[in-house]
Amino acid sequence: MKRISVEHAQPGQILAQKLQRSDGVLLAGQGSEVTEGLLRMLTRMNIDSIVIEEENKQTPEELEETFQNRCAELEGRFARVTGLPLMAALKAALIDRARRERDEALAAILPAAEEGAAQ
Amino acid sequence: MTTTGLNDRVAAKREVRRIKNLPTVPGIVAKISRLVENPETSAAEVGRLITQDQVLSAKVLRMANSAFFGMSRKISSIAQALMILGFDVVKGLVLTSSVFDMIQKSMAGLWEHSIGCAAASGAVATALGRDDAEEILVAGLLHDLGKVVLALNMPEEMDLIKSKVESDNVLFYEAETAVMDFHHGEIGQWLAEHWNLPESLAEPMRLHHNPERAMVQPECTAIVHIADSIIRGWGFGYAGDPWVPPISPAAWEMLKLKGKDLPEILNILEPKLANLSELTQSGS
Repeated sequence: MKRISVEHAQPGQILAQKLQRSDGVLLAGQGSEVTEGLLRMLTRMNIDSIVIEEENKQTPEELEETFQNRCAELEGRFARVTGLPLMAALKAALIDRARRERDEALAAILPAAEEGAAQ
Repeated sequence: MTTTGLNDRVAAKREVRRIKNLPTVPGIVAKISRLVENPETSAAEVGRLITQDQVLSAKVLRMANSAFFGMSRKISSIAQALMILGFDVVKGLVLTSSVFDMIQKSMAGLWEHSIGCAAASGAVATALGRDDAEEILVAGLLHDLGKVVLALNMPEEMDLIKSKVESDNVLFYEAETAVMDFHHGEIGQWLAEHWNLPESLAEPMRLHHNPERAMVQPECTAIVHIADSIIRGWGFGYAGDPWVPPISPAAWEMLKLKGKDLPEILNILEPKLANLSELTQSGS
């Protein structure tokens, strides 16, 4: 997810977080699609930024490569604390997150029939 | 040997004070402190003082509305921020806003590390179910101010420390200790004394690398210590070296944290970090 300014927002993007008016009234739910009408309304209400899901244009191979690079960077950062159980647990939790992100991105680009095949 | 080390250390400390290496407390922060000391002071008075500086007010409101606090309603005035977040948190935000340029100038990536550590401190405090997450978050925001003073006011030592980090593969504070016999935690402590900061900020500044020595705010210090390692592990920002500092098992156990709490903390942290990009750009 990333925060972008309303002027750069495009219809068709997906909201990663719900949009609320300053008094708490819900304008659009998480997961809903950005429309021309919504953008006009936000401009009128002086709301200047929204949080959208990042579009994924990566191929499965590129996603795997990104994941492997992130793991390698993590190993590098943790190189001085190997053998400490607490730090091993932190590293494992961070690797799990990276793996889950890869899997979610894979699930989003793979046809439904192949769902579940991604590890 | 020990005596020499101690003498050097005392001399170095005196040196730091003598050559007025410590920046003066930002004027607005001193004024707020004086106002807040008086029990008769109303929130409106403090609000008026902060509002006099419009650029500062805008920065404070931007932070108050950022993902740190995850407010569902927009905070649109300083008075409202004081009401919702309280004196101490707003004072911390004013302090952070007034040293923002200093942090930005000191070291590339340190501002990102500071806001990342703040978000992680808030995430740990939330996972622990604490109701003072906002206060602890401010301590995370300011924990590395000692590095800022070091970078801006002791450039020669800074160069030696940077080369030592690279040549010896050591953590920044280990290189500092090797070069100066003290590290940014102690510089932070002198700054906190000089600026009359409360212990809730001063102790995490001083002891975030030695949390088991904290006497006044042991839990807040332990949380900032753990948050520092989490955000370094995450790889958000840069704090002077490429390594994750080890988490003190004593600090971990004191907070009664378990391994299974880590994924939960990361889950709380992730959306906050995604939303902090608006605070990473300089300017108003």
